[in-house]
Amino acid sequence: MIRTNNLTVKYGDVHIKFPNINLDYGGQLLIIGKSGSGKTSLLNILGGLMPPETGNVLVNDLDFFSLSRNKRDNFRGQQIGFVFQTPHFIKSLSVNDNLRFSQYMSSKVNQSKIDMLLKKVDILKLKNSKIQNLSEGEKQRISIIRALVNQPSIVFADEPTSALDDDSCFNVVDLLTNLSQENNTTLVIVTHDKRLKDKFSNQINLNDF
Amino acid sequence: MIFKLAWRNITTRPLSSGLSIILLSSSIMVIVLSILTMKQMDSKFKENANKIDLVVGAKGSRLQSVLCNVFHIDYPNGNIQLKDVNFLSKHPFVKNAVPISLGDSYKKHRIIGTNPSFIKQIYNASISKGNIFSKPLEVVIGANVAAKLKLVIGDSFNGSHGIEESIHDHDDFLYHIVGVLNPTGDIIDQLIVTSLESVWQVHPHDYKKGSFDLKTVEEHEHHSHDHVSENYKDNKEITAVLVNYSSPRAKFSIPGIVNQKNSLMGAEPAIEIKQLLDLIEPAVNILYVLSLFIFGLSLFSIVVTLLNSMKDRKYEISMMRVGGASVRLIFISIVLEGFFIGLIGSVSGLLLGHSIMGIMARFLNFKYNYQFSGLVFDKLELVLLLLTILIGMIAAIFPAITAYRLDISKTLKNKI
Repeated sequence: MIRTNNLTVKYGDVHIKFPNINLDYGGQLLIIGKSGSGKTSLLNILGGLMPPETGNVLVNDLDFFSLSRNKRDNFRGQQIGFVFQTPHFIKSLSVNDNLRFSQYMSSKVNQSKIDMLLKKVDILKLKNSKIQNLSEGEKQRISIIRALVNQPSIVFADEPTSALDDDSCFNVVDLLTNLSQENNTTLVIVTHDKRLKDKFSNQINLNDF
Repeated sequence: MIFKLAWRNITTRPLSSGLSIILLSSSIMVIVLSILTMKQMDSKFKENANKIDLVVGAKGSRLQSVLCNVFHIDYPNGNIQLKDVNFLSKHPFVKNAVPISLGDSYKKHRIIGTNPSFIKQIYNASISKGNIFSKPLEVVIGANVAAKLKLVIGDSFNGSHGIEESIHDHDDFLYHIVGVLNPTGDIIDQLIVTSLESVWQVHPHDYKKGSFDLKTVEEHEHHSHDHVSENYKDNKEITAVLVNYSSPRAKFSIPGIVNQKNSLMGAEPAIEIKQLLDLIEPAVNILYVLSLFIFGLSLFSIVVTLLNSMKDRKYEISMMRVGGASVRLIFISIVLEGFFIGLIGSVSGLLLGHSIMGIMARFLNFKYNYQFSGLVFDKLELVLLLLTILIGMIAAIFPAITAYRLDISKTLKNKI
């Protein structure tokens, strides 16, 4: 499903080399690393947001960076969902319209899917709220829904729990893992949050590499 | 969806979008006002000027003679003797030579002493109700006079001496309305028309003085209406003769003949009005320049507003990109914002321009005896509308390019 070969990035004079990743459909992977270990860069490369210095990424046997910019954007919208540490939304749109816009961008508008997911995380009542009226935990849950709303094959989560307290942290991780499993979506989490260590059997530690 | 996004991005920033829209709409308003005023002045003046080929009046200012006798705005130059102009109606090149005699008004509507040709030949007007005047002191009123003053056939009124401000009322002479004219859109709609005899009867002692109405109140009090001069009938005076030519050759001969006479002066409305409009035009051009300046300012404000909101929206634009939005989609959504601002600004500017024209029309109607209106439209306005929307979109291209160039992986790292 997703495979990488000899990825490296360069920061000034520093070269960072990444371990090869090989993950099947529905698989889950936790990548742990302290800050500066290049974990966000790795995620950006995996998600096709940033090209690597060397090496390549194959998603469904397709070389991501051989695509044109527009095709890559389109492929990302169809196949990949993202969850970030600080969720950002389109401020001028409501919760529901933000989710609809995500669907719109990959031309898969499906309101019942949105309602179903909102119901599952118990925030259907916030459907028409403005983004700025939500708590951080609520925003993070909605960003998870947004990542999954197009039924992507992979979800990448970048420090999804670092800003949250213990309760919310485990809530969010459970939500991510459960929803991914239900949708048969591959999940890759990148974090330095040690609380997640025991939650995943499949792990890569960038510090060891 | 993308329309909704662009629209919401405008409405969530009401102050800055509002500023752009207000600037845009006020510049459009000034442009529209100038266009409409100029257009209406031009067409009304020319329409009326073209109805009369030559005004023959007393010596003085040609423009004044035209303004007074054709447009009924200014005061008369003076009077002329009816016997001096008799030759005009006999001249082979002359189709109509209609004498008019001014001096009185009723509630700011001028009472014109003339003959029925004034109505039929010059203005091509017809009687909608009643008859034409046949006896002295019978009047026919224009359509607007009837509507505005709510006068009907059978009503009578005292004329006031003087054209603009009443010096005194002619209490002893009562005008009777015997007819109402159909609306023509011309100046005659604003006039009260009667026979020459009526004016002579009301002003018997004025026949030798320069004009019927240029005297001050004090002067006026020196004579009374009691005595009627015996010889006025032999020296009948009028204010002017309105002439229509029957041949194009008349243009080269008649004015010359008229101007040779010591007591007479011929003025051609078409020429005088062209000169007048040429005088006004630079002033209107200054307005255009001014509004172009505001227009430029408003475009600048659109660029600044959108650029600022780009800074605000750096993260959400990155998020949109991450979520699969192509740069093209984002580019289009920002240009759409420019489109909306241009659309709202120009439509509201056009509406404002027309409403203000409508309000000003009431005042102008009074001042110029014309039916100005806010409901007149010009092709140029459509051009203006499209141009403004186009320029709004062009102004949005610069901010859209900054969004296009945004490095999403860097923005997301700088978080967040």
